[in-house]
Amino acid sequence: LIKVSVLNQKISQVTNRDTRLEVEIAGIRFKNPVIGASGTFGYGLEFAELIDLNRLGGFSTKGLSARPMAGNPPPRIIETHGGMLNAIGLQNVGARAFIEEKLPLLRHYDTQVIANVFGYSDDDYIEAITILNDGEGIAAYELNISCPNVKEGGIVIGNSALAAARLTEKAKRASARPLIVKLSPNVTDITEIARAIAAAGADALSLINTIVGMAIDINTRRPRLSYGTGGLSGPAIRPIAVRMVYEVAQSVDLPIMGIGGIASAMDALEFIIAGATAVQIGTANYYDPTVTMKVIDGLIEYCNRNQIEHISLLIGSLKIS
Amino acid sequence: MIDAIATVERNDELAPGYKLMTLSFDEEIEVQAGQFAMLRALGAFEPLLRRAFAIYRREGLRRLSFLYQVLGRGTEALARLSRSERVEALIPLGNSWFSNSTTNGLHRAIIVAGGIGSAPLLMLCQQLKRMQVNTQIFFGAANRSAAKGCGLEDFRALRLPMTISTDDGSLGERGFVTAPLERYLVEGNGVGATVYACGPWAMMRRVAEIAAAFDLRCLVSLEAPMGCGFGVCVGCVVAIRTDGPTGYETYKRVCVDGTIFSAETICWEINAMLH
Repeated sequence: LIKVSVLNQKISQVTNRDTRLEVEIAGIRFKNPVIGASGTFGYGLEFAELIDLNRLGGFSTKGLSARPMAGNPPPRIIETHGGMLNAIGLQNVGARAFIEEKLPLLRHYDTQVIANVFGYSDDDYIEAITILNDGEGIAAYELNISCPNVKEGGIVIGNSALAAARLTEKAKRASARPLIVKLSPNVTDITEIARAIAAAGADALSLINTIVGMAIDINTRRPRLSYGTGGLSGPAIRPIAVRMVYEVAQSVDLPIMGIGGIASAMDALEFIIAGATAVQIGTANYYDPTVTMKVIDGLIEYCNRNQIEHISLLIGSLKIS
Repeated sequence: MIDAIATVERNDELAPGYKLMTLSFDEEIEVQAGQFAMLRALGAFEPLLRRAFAIYRREGLRRLSFLYQVLGRGTEALARLSRSERVEALIPLGNSWFSNSTTNGLHRAIIVAGGIGSAPLLMLCQQLKRMQVNTQIFFGAANRSAAKGCGLEDFRALRLPMTISTDDGSLGERGFVTAPLERYLVEGNGVGATVYACGPWAMMRRVAEIAAAFDLRCLVSLEAPMGCGFGVCVGCVVAIRTDGPTGYETYKRVCVDGTIFSAETICWEINAMLH
């Protein structure tokens, strides 16, 4: 074990890569389980000045729709305690522009690009996937059926096991790539939806999306967000997310990407121990733009300190006596 | 753009509710007039998000100062910092007053500063003075104390022509800063000038109207609550005029597409609901 550890450290020094952190999800190899979460990582390129994208396991793009979307009127964000509410409304350049303008630049980096896909109807989703199938350099799709900030599609589909399974099946058929489905926490029983999506052929699950919340300006007596409600994210939601990842890991046999308020390696490890194969980091990218690198470093330190031969040994290792 | 840890050198009260914070950085940071930084006390979790602050002045090679009004959770946390405490700073961010325009042929400038909107304008005034551009300043604030807090003495020290107004008349002319601006133009001054404005939304909207009426180019520096400051959260948008059916399909991000916009592109009436 000590020899392996020394060897790993040497490899790490030479390639800036620690093989102990490599994970595989739906046939895609991530050099580490640290992934930028959709909606908080732009199109990846925005971070090129701040972090070494080649060190990053991967990232999920801002939700892409078949056609560009304008998004909701401002105000779109408001800070709460330990988190923030957002109702961006999926403003994005559209799938075609992503392929033409962003992907060629992203191909210069050695990181896994997950295209997050959004639509108002099943047909919209399939159209976006069909467009993105032409894009070279996309590792997988993340089906966004959990955005709480648009009135049709998204969360409406994600709240129904039947609708979610139907769309997953269609998307899987249309998709040239592995399909990750991103779950909404705004449901009575997340495991019911997870099981339906697994049965419909999803290759992996990511969870959780934001939790629907509301903030009110007591002077104007109006909602603080133009949309009325928004999605709560940040450290405040982490315990809910950890619990849901644990529940879903117990009920389906698919790899999970854990998401929800992760801001440190310790936070990431909670999700991994609960059953996640990888983690996505969201809101923390805003207030700590180099957080992904810090989490990778922290995971390496944890492995060193606890003589963990490989991060996968920790997945779902929660002890309940 | 770098994510730096800076050290507080000074954090002095200029007037009740207004502070000037000088930060020292380990390296020299190239900044342009009109740019901003996202600041937060190092490792603080309350507030969670950094806050956007205009760069007020360069104070030597590795020092920059920030003028701010203490208004909410973010600024209250910053106001509590004292010398040698540390601050996370994402810097420099946003475009500058001269990003989208050449300075060639710029011979006349009008500055309209309303309240703490003065913060991104001092470096611009310094630059215009160096460039020997004929510059007239209109400086407005709520009252004498607020004017002091908004850096009046620093603007005075530039020795550029300046008209001061306060809402209560405790200093200079009584009323909004837009009144002397309009009178100045009606009297035939400022022909061909570029107008640079920052202040409350209603003030900038009125300045934009006045500038348009006198056929003057007008640039405004906008403020919006920001999640990140570098374009990824898409939270800080402003509605931009387009030729489309509703006239405002396009939302632009104040942080990376601005903070400085040509006033004629802003959909003032739509965004007015927010301010």
